[in-house]
Amino acid sequence: MHIDLEKLSFGHADSDTRVFEEFSHRIEGPGFNALFGPSGVGKTTLARIIAGEMNGFSGKVASSGLSRILYTYNLERLPDWSGIGEHFKAVTPTSQTGFLNELTRIFGLDPYLESRYAQLSLGQQNRANLTRYLVQDFDVLIMDESLANVDEGTKKDIILLVKKRFPDRLFLYISHNVVEVSRYCKNILVVRRPDKSPQILTVSGFDDMGEQEPERETLERIMLEMMNAS
Amino acid sequence: MLHKRIYQFLIVYAVGLSVLFLVKYGLNLSDYVIPPPKEVWITGQKYWLEYLREVLDTLSVAVFGHILSILLAAVVAVIGRLTNWVGSFIKMGAYNIQSYPIVAVAPIIFILFGDGIAARLLITVMICYFPLLLSFIGIFSEPVYHIEHFYTATHRLTWGLSLRIRVFENIAKLVTVISGSATVAMVGTIVAEFIAADDGIGYRIRIALYQSDLSKILTALFLIGICTSLYLLSLEYIGLRIRKRPGISAGSFS
Repeated sequence: MHIDLEKLSFGHADSDTRVFEEFSHRIEGPGFNALFGPSGVGKTTLARIIAGEMNGFSGKVASSGLSRILYTYNLERLPDWSGIGEHFKAVTPTSQTGFLNELTRIFGLDPYLESRYAQLSLGQQNRANLTRYLVQDFDVLIMDESLANVDEGTKKDIILLVKKRFPDRLFLYISHNVVEVSRYCKNILVVRRPDKSPQILTVSGFDDMGEQEPERETLERIMLEMMNAS
Repeated sequence: MLHKRIYQFLIVYAVGLSVLFLVKYGLNLSDYVIPPPKEVWITGQKYWLEYLREVLDTLSVAVFGHILSILLAAVVAVIGRLTNWVGSFIKMGAYNIQSYPIVAVAPIIFILFGDGIAARLLITVMICYFPLLLSFIGIFSEPVYHIEHFYTATHRLTWGLSLRIRVFENIAKLVTVISGSATVAMVGTIVAEFIAADDGIGYRIRIALYQSDLSKILTALFLIGICTSLYLLSLEYIGLRIRKRPGISAGSFS
């Protein structure tokens, strides 16, 4: 299971700035991987190109055994004409109903199923949005700041649940939080500016599965590697 | 307690009357050109009930025409967004036709339909319809990306769902557009009656104009203002109720 990015080039139409300059990289799956890098480096652009939601680039995105790639981001909203529970039911395949109930419980959304999306806090909104993606049929899920505004404890529960539940899927987790990326991700793809070569460097993360607490030194070493790479 | 819209109208009307009487006495104009306040008052007392019936007649045509034009604009805008080329064609047609003064076509309508209710209604609908259509097309064709994204990504976005999302997210804008076009409907009906009808307050104003009776015209204008304000008030009330429905977030109105 992998995604091959071949000679990818992209620049925004309204400026001369190049985001990607003929770079190639293989993203290996399955696992919980991260796209990491400074703001404006092209993480979201790359994610949308991989998900097939963006045109205007040159090069090729090829994948093996990955037919369904979903991309979710933290600005998404659910329509406010009914409570989030009703929305979940409407988009959840029958086979996933049990998993939906488990998700809403672990995500702390059970008391709010009657609430409209706009009535939720930012963290609850992000969890509600992620919930409906997780019950879909997917091979790859790209989570762009999907757990922003979620407290550390709940974030840990969510990530560990996702990793345990979907060991055979590929996740690309976009976040600026160095600690959580270094702790939970298997491979950290550090995206760099186009004048640097290669444009993506891979750093191995701790890949916490909830079995043992990571040692402080280990995490510090990973974080240092990430910062040096970016 | 009177609503501020009624207050506003009363203030504007009082200022208008004052300016008129200032001009009359400042320039020493005859009572034939601008009648004295007492005559305006007496005429008002004598004709207000008869004119009120005419204003209500006009208002009923305006409301009916307004509703028709809203329905028509909504249907055409929905059809218009089904396919790109039909949408572009309707949009282009609406822009072009809107730039043409519909009132100029009114005589043809009166020739074809006579001076009854059909002609008045048709002119009202035509005057209201095109601005509504342009607004509706704009709203119905503008994706609400952050909501539609999930449904697009999971292949669940039907045209009905996208329409529902766009209407729901723009409900405040739609209410404003519809309220705004209510005045246009009233103006359209009065203009139609003024041109050729044999009923309604526009027709009464035309007769008063032939008689050079400014008192009657001022009485008619007062009643038109009050009744139109009340109609707008009811529309705003409906809009307010819709906005206060659960689930209509404050963000929908930014």
